[in-house]
Amino acid sequence: MVHALDEIRRTLKPNGILVDLRPVESNWSVEVVSSAGWQASGRLSDMPAAVEDDEAAFNAMRAAESNGWYSKKEEKEFAFFYYWDTPSEMKEFMEEEWEEFEKMEEDVYQKASSLWASANADARVRVRVNMLITIWVKQQR
Amino acid sequence: MTLQRDPEGFEQKTLHALVDFKDKHVLEVGCGEGRLTFKYAAASSLTVGFDPDHDALRIARADSPYALQKHVHFAGASASHIPFSKETFDIAILAWSL
Repeated sequence: MVHALDEIRRTLKPNGILVDLRPVESNWSVEVVSSAGWQASGRLSDMPAAVEDDEAAFNAMRAAESNGWYSKKEEKEFAFFYYWDTPSEMKEFMEEEWEEFEKMEEDVYQKASSLWASANADARVRVRVNMLITIWVKQQR
Repeated sequence: MTLQRDPEGFEQKTLHALVDFKDKHVLEVGCGEGRLTFKYAAASSLTVGFDPDHDALRIARADSPYALQKHVHFAGASASHIPFSKETFDIAILAWSL
């Protein structure tokens, strides 16, 4: 990972920028949303592999910074939402796609299902993913 | 299954608020199917997306809008060896890939 950051640096022009855009694990919120507003039903559980991936990414950027390859210019957090029409579709997706990274406990699913069933007809479920974007500037060696 | 990712466009808005792509040469590392690539490439003068997943790259090429096809290119490669000479790009993007 650190070698890749050096390789990217090689291909950047002087003062070129590196954009690191990725989700960060933080027990993402499960929500039911409709035209009437939104309600949280609970949070996902971060799996160890996801937490390790996060730590590895942060460590790699710290190493690149301490090596004098990049300097941090700007950083911002924002939300990225995944939406499904029904709680069961959300559950199915998580079990197929996020199995190694996120787990939805049964009580969170049950509450989402309950909120969804009693909400307006246009209700959907969503997961609020915490995103981090960091702008790095290439440094001359 | 009906799945929507970021229908509000927060990712695209944030990216464009922080990065000026106009007339820039852009390298995207881990472009996958080009989901993010197509959200900024129109402003760039050249965008190269690469990924080791050739199945994803096939989808990216197939989904590439006609208007972008002249200045967006996809290639199979990994970040450990980027097949371009030094100081080629103004911007490199690690898109969900670090």
